[in-house]
Amino acid sequence: MKCNVAVVFMHDYLDGDLAREDTLQLQQHLKHCPACLSRYESLERTDAFVKAMPMEKAPDNLSYRIMKSLPSSRRPAAWTSWVRRHPAVSAAAIFMVVMLSSFVSMWNQSQELSVSGPDLEHVVFEGRTVIVPAGQKVTGDLTVVNGDVQVLGDLEGNLTVIDGSVKPLASTAHIAGQVKTIDRAVDWFWYKVSSYFGTLAYGS
Amino acid sequence: MKPLETRLARLALKGDQRAFAEIVDLYKDKLYHLAYRMTGNRQEAEDVVQETFLRVYKNLDRYDENQKFSTWIYRIATNLCIDRLRKRKAIYSLDAESSDHEGLDGYAMLPSDGRTPESELLLSETQRLIHEAIATLPVKYKSVMILRYLQELSLQEISDVLDMPVTTVKTRVHRGREFLRRKLEHKL
Repeated sequence: MKCNVAVVFMHDYLDGDLAREDTLQLQQHLKHCPACLSRYESLERTDAFVKAMPMEKAPDNLSYRIMKSLPSSRRPAAWTSWVRRHPAVSAAAIFMVVMLSSFVSMWNQSQELSVSGPDLEHVVFEGRTVIVPAGQKVTGDLTVVNGDVQVLGDLEGNLTVIDGSVKPLASTAHIAGQVKTIDRAVDWFWYKVSSYFGTLAYGS
Repeated sequence: MKPLETRLARLALKGDQRAFAEIVDLYKDKLYHLAYRMTGNRQEAEDVVQETFLRVYKNLDRYDENQKFSTWIYRIATNLCIDRLRKRKAIYSLDAESSDHEGLDGYAMLPSDGRTPESELLLSETQRLIHEAIATLPVKYKSVMILRYLQELSLQEISDVLDMPVTTVKTRVHRGREFLRRKLEHKL
């Protein structure tokens, strides 16, 4: 056996990776080659010393610091994965939230009487009632929110009443355009009904 | 039944902090030992261990249960150590021999280990010599030698951790061993 082969065998032997026959060959070589024997002994010592290095223990409070350094909770991740798995329901839920919030804000802001139209000079207010007095002529459309309307005179345009009512027309009254009443409570009711069916469909 | 670590990893993924704490307890000393031998520095070793567990925690959902948990966690820790050593090398170029100081490389020009707190816990001259010999190993041999000798991983496991063929691992163990022998033979 040549010495360079013997060196490879030595390493394989120290790795616990040398076949029995090869080990016997190496043994024979070491008996006759003092240089290789001394090299083997040196390698063996190195191995033993390195293996004997004591285990370094982590400082006592390291576990605590590690646990504290973790992001506080994995729950947000679980939440986002739920959203990823149910895109349609999530989109519907967000839509509902947006609609509801805008609806609520509109509902709250429009409690007071407001009247709009190009010709408000000839209109009289009495509490929450908007009156077009007898003998007066109002030109253009008239829109009333959160109030009742009583028409005694002429209205040369459309009348729109939101969340209010139109009192029976007097015989002197004349409205050139259309009369339209919108009840937002109906919308509210419709919302209630649809969200009720929504909870039936998806669970609360 | 799956191995303990795999079950703990699953529980931790579901948000069980105590399961993760158990993983930390199982591996903190092994990883600290690995990182300390790799970096030769206690503070850096702590940083590496902390960073390793943070990465494990964040990537639990990517853990492939077909591989051993230990392989996965050792890979993360070893790569973090190698990154640090490379960055450090880029700054000091420790392996380059200096022309002004014959026979001294960058390591020898760092403040001597003998005076720093690093060696305070080394009980004997022998331990100090081995510690220094390991510290001077080139990075590619160092990771292999540490996994082999101080973590007692098999050649196959090392090949999985470092993602290289077993034959390469073997060659590096042999060269690393020769390197240490040359460093130590006249001193011990």
